[in-house]
Amino acid sequence: MSRLTRLIPWRQTPATLIAASLVVAGFLLMSVSWWFLVLVGLGTFGPGVLRELGWLRDKDEWQQRAAHRAGYHAFLVAGLLATVLMAYFRSGDRMVRNPQELATLFMVLLWSTWFFSSLFSFWGAKKTAMRVLLAFGGFWMVFIVAANTGTEWQGPVGLFMSLLLAVPFFALAWLSRRWPRIAGVLLLVAAVFFFVRLGMHDVSATDWIDRAVLIVLFLGPLLGSGIALLQVGAGEDEADAA
Amino acid sequence: MKPRHDIRNNLRRYRLLADGMTQQDLADRVGVTRQTILSIEKGKYSPTIGLALRLAREFEVPVEDLFELDEENN
Repeated sequence: MSRLTRLIPWRQTPATLIAASLVVAGFLLMSVSWWFLVLVGLGTFGPGVLRELGWLRDKDEWQQRAAHRAGYHAFLVAGLLATVLMAYFRSGDRMVRNPQELATLFMVLLWSTWFFSSLFSFWGAKKTAMRVLLAFGGFWMVFIVAANTGTEWQGPVGLFMSLLLAVPFFALAWLSRRWPRIAGVLLLVAAVFFFVRLGMHDVSATDWIDRAVLIVLFLGPLLGSGIALLQVGAGEDEADAA
Repeated sequence: MKPRHDIRNNLRRYRLLADGMTQQDLADRVGVTRQTILSIEKGKYSPTIGLALRLAREFEVPVEDLFELDEENN
């Protein structure tokens, strides 16, 4: 196993590789039965449980502290959401579509909070924000190109104009390295803008749970990056841990 | 994970004085990852007592030579 892990350019422990395999297998087999989602859970949370029990010692003290911090952040965010939802459901007769998706919402919120908190620990706020924004810009461009095929073809000018919408993401990525606090404010403004523009503020709609999942996945990274950038001190040089 | 109380360290200086030891070499010697050494040198992380003592033993210096309170900010 150690020979195999040495072939991989980035250092990952055997436990992490096994866990990742379980997650991938679980996702692939979910089309056969939803019970294979349990494999995803085992892969995601199993190593952490083993580490807390002291049966797995593959992380050093810094990595353990980063994991504990990320877990605490996920607890805080999920706890806040749980409180709001309890108040919401108990304050009136609520009709929502797909209530079982509440579990999905919590899973997505927990995982994404833990994931981005870990990234901020490993890369620092500026590098994480820059990479998040580059990823957003890149995905947007891929989406536009893919959407402009076949009968949807808008012509080269139309395609170019659509691709220009990715420019703000790349501009913010550059800004986050030079002026992080300004970029942080702009990211928060962008998050609010998309929240309203995409109609995600309408919680009276019965499909607000599905919208909430989109909020977490789409706006969460922007919001998290914005908040993290606001906390970057003047002249602070980010740790280049990766 | 910036420490709340300010501690300065001379880890990088001692590491480079040791024939230009790399962060990875030092990490391997004291049983941590390069990320940990990097974070300590950048002042982003204060090690546990055990790790601080292992680092001091590695360079054969008292732990106070490696880590000290930042008197200006305390």
